[in-house]
Amino acid sequence: MPNGPLIVQSDKTLLLEVDHDQADACRRAIAPFAELERAPEHVHTYRLTPLGLWNARAAGHDAEQVVDVLLEYSRYPVPHALLVDVAETMSRYGRLQLVADPVHGLVLHALDAAVMAEVTRSKRTAGLLGAQLDTTDVVVHPSERGHLKQVLLKLGWPAEDLAGYVDGEAHPIDLEQNGWHLRPYQEQAVAGFWHGGSGVVVLPCGAGKTLVGAGAMARSKTTTLILVTNTVSARQWRDELVKRTTLTEDEIGEYSGARKEIKPVTIATYQVLTTKRKGVYTHLELLDARDWGLILYDEVHLLPAPIFRMTADLQARRRLGLTATLVREDGREDEVFSLIGPKRFDAPWKDIEAQGYIAPAECVEVRLTLPDSERMTYATAEPEEKYRYAATAAGKNRVVERLVAKHAGEQVLVIGQYLDQLHELRDHLGADLITGETTVRERQRLFDAFRSGEISTLIVSKVANFSIDLPEAAVAIQVSGSFGSRQEEAQRLGRIMRPKGDGRTAHFYTVVARDTVDQDFAAHRQRFLAEQGYAYTIVDAEDLDSVA
Amino acid sequence: MSPFTAHLRARTDDELVALLRARPDLASPSPSTLSSLAVRATSRTSLERALASVDAAVLQVVEAVVALGAVTAADVPHAVGADGPDAVSFVAAHLAGATTRLLVFPDDDGVLRAAPGVAELFGAYPAGLAPDTFDARAAERAGLEPDPAARLADAPPGARSVVDALLWGPPVGLAPAKGTPAGAAVGWLVEHGVLVAVDARHVVLPRSAALALRGGRTHRAPSLPPTVAQSAPVRAAETLAAEAASAGDRIVRLVARLVRTWEQQPPAVLRAGGLGVRELKRTAAALEVDEATTAFVVELAGAAGLVADDGEEAPSFVPTVAADEWHARELPGRWAVLARAWRDTARTPWLVGSRDDRGGVIAALDPELQRPWAPRLRAAVLRVLADAPEGAAIGVDAVVEALRWRTPRAVPPRQAVEAILDEAVQVGVVGAGALTAPGRALVTPGSDAAVAFEAGLPAGVDEILLQGDLTGIVPGRPGTALEELIDRAARVESRGGALTVRFTPESVRRAFDQGSTADGLLAELATFARGRVPQPLEYLVRDAARRHGLVRVGGASSYVRADDPALLAGLAEDPRLAGLGLVLLAPTVLAAQAGVRELLDALRARGLAPVAEGPDGQVLHVAPEVRRVSRRSTLAARRRAESDALINQARDATSLERLRALVPHLRRAEEAAEAAVAPLPLATGVHWEVRPEGDGPQAAHPATVGAERTVGPTRDGGAGGATRDAPHGRTAGSAGALSARAAGAGIGGSAGAGAGAGAGAGAGAGARSAAGDLARPAVGHPAPAPPDARAAVPSLSATRTAQGADLARPPSPAPPSPAGTDDPASALVLLREAAAQKALVWVELVGSTGAPQRRLLRPVRVDGGRLRAVDPQREAELTVAVHRIASVAPADPT
Repeated sequence: MPNGPLIVQSDKTLLLEVDHDQADACRRAIAPFAELERAPEHVHTYRLTPLGLWNARAAGHDAEQVVDVLLEYSRYPVPHALLVDVAETMSRYGRLQLVADPVHGLVLHALDAAVMAEVTRSKRTAGLLGAQLDTTDVVVHPSERGHLKQVLLKLGWPAEDLAGYVDGEAHPIDLEQNGWHLRPYQEQAVAGFWHGGSGVVVLPCGAGKTLVGAGAMARSKTTTLILVTNTVSARQWRDELVKRTTLTEDEIGEYSGARKEIKPVTIATYQVLTTKRKGVYTHLELLDARDWGLILYDEVHLLPAPIFRMTADLQARRRLGLTATLVREDGREDEVFSLIGPKRFDAPWKDIEAQGYIAPAECVEVRLTLPDSERMTYATAEPEEKYRYAATAAGKNRVVERLVAKHAGEQVLVIGQYLDQLHELRDHLGADLITGETTVRERQRLFDAFRSGEISTLIVSKVANFSIDLPEAAVAIQVSGSFGSRQEEAQRLGRIMRPKGDGRTAHFYTVVARDTVDQDFAAHRQRFLAEQGYAYTIVDAEDLDSVA
Repeated sequence: MSPFTAHLRARTDDELVALLRARPDLASPSPSTLSSLAVRATSRTSLERALASVDAAVLQVVEAVVALGAVTAADVPHAVGADGPDAVSFVAAHLAGATTRLLVFPDDDGVLRAAPGVAELFGAYPAGLAPDTFDARAAERAGLEPDPAARLADAPPGARSVVDALLWGPPVGLAPAKGTPAGAAVGWLVEHGVLVAVDARHVVLPRSAALALRGGRTHRAPSLPPTVAQSAPVRAAETLAAEAASAGDRIVRLVARLVRTWEQQPPAVLRAGGLGVRELKRTAAALEVDEATTAFVVELAGAAGLVADDGEEAPSFVPTVAADEWHARELPGRWAVLARAWRDTARTPWLVGSRDDRGGVIAALDPELQRPWAPRLRAAVLRVLADAPEGAAIGVDAVVEALRWRTPRAVPPRQAVEAILDEAVQVGVVGAGALTAPGRALVTPGSDAAVAFEAGLPAGVDEILLQGDLTGIVPGRPGTALEELIDRAARVESRGGALTVRFTPESVRRAFDQGSTADGLLAELATFARGRVPQPLEYLVRDAARRHGLVRVGGASSYVRADDPALLAGLAEDPRLAGLGLVLLAPTVLAAQAGVRELLDALRARGLAPVAEGPDGQVLHVAPEVRRVSRRSTLAARRRAESDALINQARDATSLERLRALVPHLRRAEEAAEAAVAPLPLATGVHWEVRPEGDGPQAAHPATVGAERTVGPTRDGGAGGATRDAPHGRTAGSAGALSARAAGAGIGGSAGAGAGAGAGAGAGAGARSAAGDLARPAVGHPAPAPPDARAAVPSLSATRTAQGADLARPPSPAPPSPAGTDDPASALVLLREAAAQKALVWVELVGSTGAPQRRLLRPVRVDGGRLRAVDPQREAELTVAVHRIASVAPADPT
């Protein structure tokens, strides 16, 4: 189409002009096979990756459809090499199949003997495969199902997993939709997951991922193991499930450092699962404690490496990963996809915002010019000390003070990385402080007080980065962070994105010391959000009052 | 004179020019006469070349003529199996091609014959037909029924399939064991004269039977060019234009970036020439492409003369002046330069990284990568693509298939064809498997590739979508002004139909470094932007502007430091020190443009007592300065330039003008040579010397050296004679097609002593030689003679040793035939023709004692300076060096 909304680049990126009449139709057409990479205001960037194309194959799309979509919407002739590559890549999927054989159990079946020969000769599959039955079939050790799939993916011959899932132990679970309903995108996410069997759902912070989890459980109606980041989050899950489903408190167990309950629905923390004693994971038996029918991973972008390995053994069970920000600073997104499953649903933040399910947010970077004496100290500081020095610059306290004063009457969160700095801020602002040292009981109390409006300003360390639900928080001020972590920035913004009762705009401030590494890290931290369409306004600390 | 030479002489000028154009090796170096042209045209090397360059259809008609021996032009289409007017005219056209190339020629009666020597190149069974030697034996058994097909009617079962297996060749088969049904069938066939038993185990289908069963044909059907291209997918013109534009743009950008990289950091040249592996890796990293692509880009830049060895003592590859001229052109012009360079270069970049014969890794820009066939193969591949229907993506298999038909005796390796197609894709000549419009222009004479390239470029877009995440997108090919702005102020992230860029503090700083201001840059961005410039970008630009220039750098040669500000202020103001360029940087520091020594002298002259200090503040004693000049070598590597010059020379050699001028020259020389040869007595013994032919330029030199040496024996006291002369002549490579050793009783005193003489000058020259002059060939007869006897060059030189008239001659069984010749060129042709026709010839040989003898021989082959022949009278086969052959005459002059 000569005036299509899509431009296909030879480096396999797709540029979608969002203001175009057909942008929506095009977005829907390319979503099954292209990964959204950036979604700023004018042009969204998608990327064609082998994984994305294989996922599309798994979901029943073929190369011809993909090529047709590209040709239909592309404004310019599509590079021929790219079309060839798409067809070539997609044809690699499914030449190998994992099937359940009535006699031999789990079997890797090849439609093409040459591919089987290549795979069985590879060093990487050593130890994963059992006896070769004939030129196209080989027995797979059931415990290596996940690992093998991962290896095959790396070899470029992704296996189609037709072996199915164990049903698990049945347990009645239903949603109690009294006065509320799953939102359309939540329904879509649940349906997408269930259709695909296993996979990851990506939704912005505050968009109701817990409900997607609950919806999945209601579909599955089996015993469920829920893995979460920390105890506070575990309790939030429990409360939410009690409130939204037919489950009662007695049916939900908590398996954490404090309690070790195993019930039809068990919520465990990553930390307790990865605890080692004498080099052995002591709580591994939890995974086999019941015949789980569904395993839920909350905040899957934080999944620690040992859990990856454990997950590799759980391939026969349905798995659902939930996250807002599938960017890992360690670059292991692919492993998430190969072990938990492909991305089943993904909604750009701005889309959900446009539908009114999350609060509109305004992001502001406040640049603080350091006084000369501090600049001199900074310039001569040891390289490893520089970030800490810049991030904890004394001038930030005054900026925070002014921001808090400006937003008087609103619920304000002040978030930081360094405890010294947070203690100083506490003294400065006279507000309460939650850090890793605060007891769970005290945390609960302070969060409750904040939720109820009893206290209006709360200072938190990185413990509140994730999974803490503070619906009324409307302003977040970030004074320091862990270097250039993109997902931390996004998660912190997520703390204030629950829609407000009066539809107010949330404000996210990040205070940055000018001309220091703090500024460079801040630029990196902002990339994920900037790519989601959150444009940061940059103001100088001196001009702060001019900002509305 | 042989029919072949006669035919050659009878050709029109245009026909001769066509011959020389079709077989350029015949014209380079220029032959002296038509006779020597005939010799060269029948030499094995030249024939092999000629056969290697013709397509399957030409080869087929030549094979048919060889197989049939003599055939009229009208019968050839039937012989190769053509039926229908189209096929007949197809065959006729290719027969004309074979005739033009002198692979077949019509004799006086208009009967086509294969050129002498051609038959030997078709193996033992041309067209799968056995030699006719078995026909007689078959005929003995055949009985009354001459038609083998009729005989086969009564044959036992299985006999027909045996015959069918041998029918289209090869005609020899292994006889099955007796007692088996197949053995019985073969036995019956032998019994009835359809097959002939060669020995206990082999049978052969005789030629006559095969031809009869084939219906007189040599081939089943004419060899038609492959037609796979018809079934190939056809690409839309827009697709091809987009592919050409994007690939062309990419290659131009890569070469430009290479030039930019190397002008800053030129890589060193390896001692053996070429670019080291490490340098290649570094360059690949700078270009952000893989090493194979880098090697191609580097080679392409080299072929276009944009980078070259600088020839310094420690040589490195640096951009040339041509690179600046190239850079000044617009994109289409730049592309056309690269595309033409690629088309014409003899470089083979795909071999970079492979191992050579000694096991070493071949480097990019290695002088060894020169392959003279590379441009020919590129042209052939592009020709195949150009001949396919427009837009047809025919694929490498089809190209190889087509090339196999075009030159069946010299099929290029598939790997090379693949590599060339891959290069073509990179250059943008081929896109999506089909020849692009600019690619077509590149291979079409008279059309401008740059214009075709420009026509395919999408129109420029003067709009950029600026976004809050500091990226910008140009939804198309940026116009010149926008492109320039992006070059200056942004970093490109992805290219293709659109251009995505990112603004970073570094990229914006680059714009400031080139003189932009914050307001200017923002205004420029605003003119191209759709909507306003996003606040983060504006802030970025202003912030970068604020930081730009905070640190200042200037040049100074030396400084003055003192604790007394008043003293320094005085120095800075002192008009007598104005020449030193003193600037007060700080109250206690002055910077100076003058050097340390000059500064010291000036300050001392002013009555101060300065000391010099080093970087660490130590006081230095400054020694008087001495100067040296560095050694520079200007001799080092200009190899590429030289080899390119050679190629250009070779290209000139086949230019039409030169060939048109050459042909009349050949005719005049031929006539002059005849006039000169005619008076020589036939009885004169002639020594022949044939060397492998060569086309080195030296062959055109006058045969001074040879002649000089030939004079030698005379000067040495007249020793020698025919016996000694023969080997002497052989080693010395004595001069002239007819450089005669005219000798007689009166000269030199000893019997048969020779004196060298210029060829055409005849007796007069001989006389001059006798007087002790150095023989020089007459101007009209530049004879090909290697100045160095070791030169393995195909030139023909003959030494005629005039025997004393009174020398004993062997009794001649027959008088010399009037059609005989002692002209070495004609004699060779005669021998080859006789070999081809299995005819008898009278050959006068000079024995080891110097005594000539005449024998009636049936030549078998003439090859490598030797004649193999059968003497039917003595029933013996003999091999004789051709320089021992004095004269040749057909036994049957008709």
